[in-house]
Amino acid sequence: MKRELISLERAVAASLLLALPVSASAAGVDAGTLIENTATATYDAGEGPTTINSNTVTLKVDELLDVTVSSLDSGPIGATPGSVVLTFEITNTGNGPEAYTLTANPAVGGNDFDTAIDGIAVDSNGNGVYDPGIDQILTGPETTALLDPDENLTVFVLATVPPTVVDGDQSTVDLRADAVTGTGAPGTTFAGQGVDGSDAVVGAGGASDNATGSLIVGITTVDLTKSATVADPFGGTSTVPGSTITYTITAVVSGSGSVSGLVVSDVIPAGTTYRTGTLALDSSALTDASGDDAGEASASGISVDLGTVAGGSSHAVTFEVSID
Amino acid sequence: MAFLLKILAPALSLALFAGPTVAQEMPISIEVDLKLEKSVVDADGNSRVERVEPDLIVPGDRLVFGRIYRNSGPEAVPNFVVTSPVSSAVRLAPDADPSLVVSVDGGKSWGVLSALTVAAEDGSARPADHADVTHVRWTLAMVAPGETGRLEFPAIIR
Repeated sequence: MKRELISLERAVAASLLLALPVSASAAGVDAGTLIENTATATYDAGEGPTTINSNTVTLKVDELLDVTVSSLDSGPIGATPGSVVLTFEITNTGNGPEAYTLTANPAVGGNDFDTAIDGIAVDSNGNGVYDPGIDQILTGPETTALLDPDENLTVFVLATVPPTVVDGDQSTVDLRADAVTGTGAPGTTFAGQGVDGSDAVVGAGGASDNATGSLIVGITTVDLTKSATVADPFGGTSTVPGSTITYTITAVVSGSGSVSGLVVSDVIPAGTTYRTGTLALDSSALTDASGDDAGEASASGISVDLGTVAGGSSHAVTFEVSID
Repeated sequence: MAFLLKILAPALSLALFAGPTVAQEMPISIEVDLKLEKSVVDADGNSRVERVEPDLIVPGDRLVFGRIYRNSGPEAVPNFVVTSPVSSAVRLAPDADPSLVVSVDGGKSWGVLSALTVAAEDGSARPADHADVTHVRWTLAMVAPGETGRLEFPAIIR
């Protein structure tokens, strides 16, 4: 903070300065703003009104250092071994422009496993999604550009999930932002390091904040099992011409995730003929025609589109053929 | 402060050409000061408010804008009116003297705060509050020879 006594003659110019709009942020008026104290007095001692001016005292608002970090992920990110992206937002809650050093810590207590941090990227194109090759990856020490008061910045923590994980494993990554000017107990002062030579002082949040993002491993598997039962024309189970074979293909989906675009298809075995109208999914009949429901069947084979199937569920596809 | 001085320089030279705008033999003078009010806790755990030099000021701090008048002449000074703008970087403190005469329109009209209104966003009038105050004013019927006094108002940095 600089303090000045300004002589009477300068008071007019100083008033002009103060006429400039004061810009304020959530943290209050911006660092470097001048606060002026001056007074005018008039009186009439019989020779008409006389005006006198006081001296003027001007103070400069010092810079508050503060920051918040929050996770922009709505919940744990579904992940598989390989690359994963966690999204955070850094907000300058101080009253002056400030840059922040970012530190990503993958070793958080309670983790089933720790990710490997590959880097921290800023959302250069501002679309909220990590775009490899477009969004700038920070080089160590990872430091943001200057953020204006109230300005926020989306950053991405790029991590790798190791191949040793199992389905359902969870992991948390901590991202911390520290004001470059300095951090510490609220009130800690950095003389002359604020805007326009003002002092910088640590705000209520310690000029440092952190937030965590988490991920959960979802490894989903599909097991297909095919079985057959035979009925001969005589009420027995022998495979003779005219016998009917009923095939059942069971798809069992396991794991905490889901699979999409799951299609079960099979060919009609040589020496047999598909019995029209026998295709069914979970005991509900499907038409042989394509496009009207999940299934289709022809003389050459059958196909049933199960779409997206969540882990922990199973579906059975049945159809019949007759032995030629 | 180099930046401030640069802007002041032309005004200063102008003032020198024009000569002092204030007579030197004024029998009465007014001087301002600016203090920071800080809550301090003593060894017994009691907190009290101290006025200190404002070496470090940040939004939310409470400042006291003081003005000291002194009649050093042989004559009484009648109808002594002291007017001060309130910096737009501060708002009048909520516990300011409710009988203080203020303006919320840049000094055009005056009154106690509770009697003033300002235009709301929708164009209607709403009661003025402390943050709306742009000027304060004191009127002293008479300042006797040798009399000195202090006038002040508290404000909070926005």
